[in-house]
Amino acid sequence: MDTRVEKVDAGKPLDAVEQGLYEIRKKIYPRAVTGMFASARWSLVIFTQVLFYGLAWLPWNGRQAVLFDLASRKFYIFGLVFWPQDIVYLTVILILAAYSLFLFTAVAGRLWCGYACPQTVYTEIFMWIERKVEGDRLARMKLDKSPATARKVGLKLTKHGLWIALALWTGFTFVGYFTPIRTLSHDVLAFATGPWETFWMLFYGFATYGNAGWMREQVCKYMCPYARFQGVMFDPDTLVITYDRERGEPRGSRSKSADPAKQGLGSCVDCGICVQVCPTGIDIRNGLQYECIGCAACIDGCDQVMDKMGYPRGLIRYSTENAVRDKLDRQGLIRRVFRPRVLLYTGILLVVLVAAVTTLANRQPVKVDVIRDRVPMSVDNGDGKVENVYRLQIMNTDETPRRFEVSVSGMPGIEVSSRELPLELKGASQRMLPIRIRALPQAGDHGSQTIEFRVTATAIDNPSQAPVTINETARFIVP
Amino acid sequence: MTAQRWIHILWPAFIVGGIGEGIFFTVFDPADLSLFGEPLVASRVAIYSAGFFCFWAFAACSSALTLFFQRTSAEINRCPIPDPTQRPPGCPKREDPNACCG
Repeated sequence: MDTRVEKVDAGKPLDAVEQGLYEIRKKIYPRAVTGMFASARWSLVIFTQVLFYGLAWLPWNGRQAVLFDLASRKFYIFGLVFWPQDIVYLTVILILAAYSLFLFTAVAGRLWCGYACPQTVYTEIFMWIERKVEGDRLARMKLDKSPATARKVGLKLTKHGLWIALALWTGFTFVGYFTPIRTLSHDVLAFATGPWETFWMLFYGFATYGNAGWMREQVCKYMCPYARFQGVMFDPDTLVITYDRERGEPRGSRSKSADPAKQGLGSCVDCGICVQVCPTGIDIRNGLQYECIGCAACIDGCDQVMDKMGYPRGLIRYSTENAVRDKLDRQGLIRRVFRPRVLLYTGILLVVLVAAVTTLANRQPVKVDVIRDRVPMSVDNGDGKVENVYRLQIMNTDETPRRFEVSVSGMPGIEVSSRELPLELKGASQRMLPIRIRALPQAGDHGSQTIEFRVTATAIDNPSQAPVTINETARFIVP
Repeated sequence: MTAQRWIHILWPAFIVGGIGEGIFFTVFDPADLSLFGEPLVASRVAIYSAGFFCFWAFAACSSALTLFFQRTSAEINRCPIPDPTQRPPGCPKREDPNACCG
């Protein structure tokens, strides 16, 4: 805002300012790169995608192992079943995710962006397809400039066909985490998917195709909120991809046999590989920029050039602002990792993690809610006893079938009457149980009395297992 | 420019709409909702989907208002003329003869 006002006041046309904010995109043709970091990225691409495409098909207890069943409002993750009441765990997962991101960013910058973000992962896969069909950087640039021949049209159709097929499979898998994927696959084969399932499969598929095929680095540059605020988690000891200016400059081309010192040159041969391999099209030699997603493709590219020239590697490397300034060695660099910010993030992460695992392990597999029926408030039965009606929301939250008994205490002669007791519930199910309570009020018992429900649940298949008992208090109205 | 405006409006709204959807439907079960006193008969998945578009649309309205209010006083005071070529110096699109909105 400020810069814009300044520029307007300076008499420059607004249009130029707006153009400057979002320049017309030049298509980027990243060159393929091999090396340590490229291998690391590919390992993560394979790991995350085997997980994503495969996990949906894994069976568990006769159902899908990981299923976010929106239609019945239950999330299954292996042996665990989460209900809407378990929202606290969702919060915990968000806190863990946020602090992990803070921690990784503080230690080594945009690790997430460079290796694990779906945008990076799918762009990498889509670019691999593109390379296999159209060839590497120069071949692709030539193809795009060439007139529309049958070969060009054929290659483009093949590429987009493969992209769309992969995108549709991705959309199908995504929806398969919300609707059981085996049923969904039968429906797809029979062209009998529901309207919303069809819509979301196409929507997610289209987003994958658009983001990984067309938008690519623009998603990181213009759409990603994290790219904008990651800078605040950086400090001078954060590992970032750094060009060693002191060693590299003055840059310039030279023959392999020449001694750069005699020519007054630094180590940078100005080959431009670091720019060609960059998926966001920046020149890392200009310093750290917010467009840099930390993929380290330029490190791999530069190291290969250094090897060919017979120079030491690491002209572009992971380093920190302080390490470059103070010329720290590897050990000094590692020592700086253990600084207060990192220790604090680690501490918070560990505390939240331990708390989450502990509460999850001690979670009661049964939940009970007592709801008083207000109409009628109470009934005088004529035998001196007063009756109140309640509804008990009983939830069997894990997958063990259970038998439920209800008893009640707190007033003389108090008794439970319900035709449905004992109640048997399947795993991961719930029932609203209407229940009548009768009690014999004593002289002076008027208005609201406190009574206590005691719900005991025994595992049907395993009666020797200790029963789960839940106590809930309620009000009993005496007229 | 128009495409960019749309992205400025729709994309942040998509993120916020998604968050709103998640929080709302974690707390409320679509089966418990009623519309003008009548219980909703559609399936949960349909209500979730329709709900998402409502959240997205509301958030988009907010984004659109932000863009609308972002115009500086200079622009409002000095550039009310619909034909950009007739606007005083400093106004957007003055140099673009095709920019006129008619």
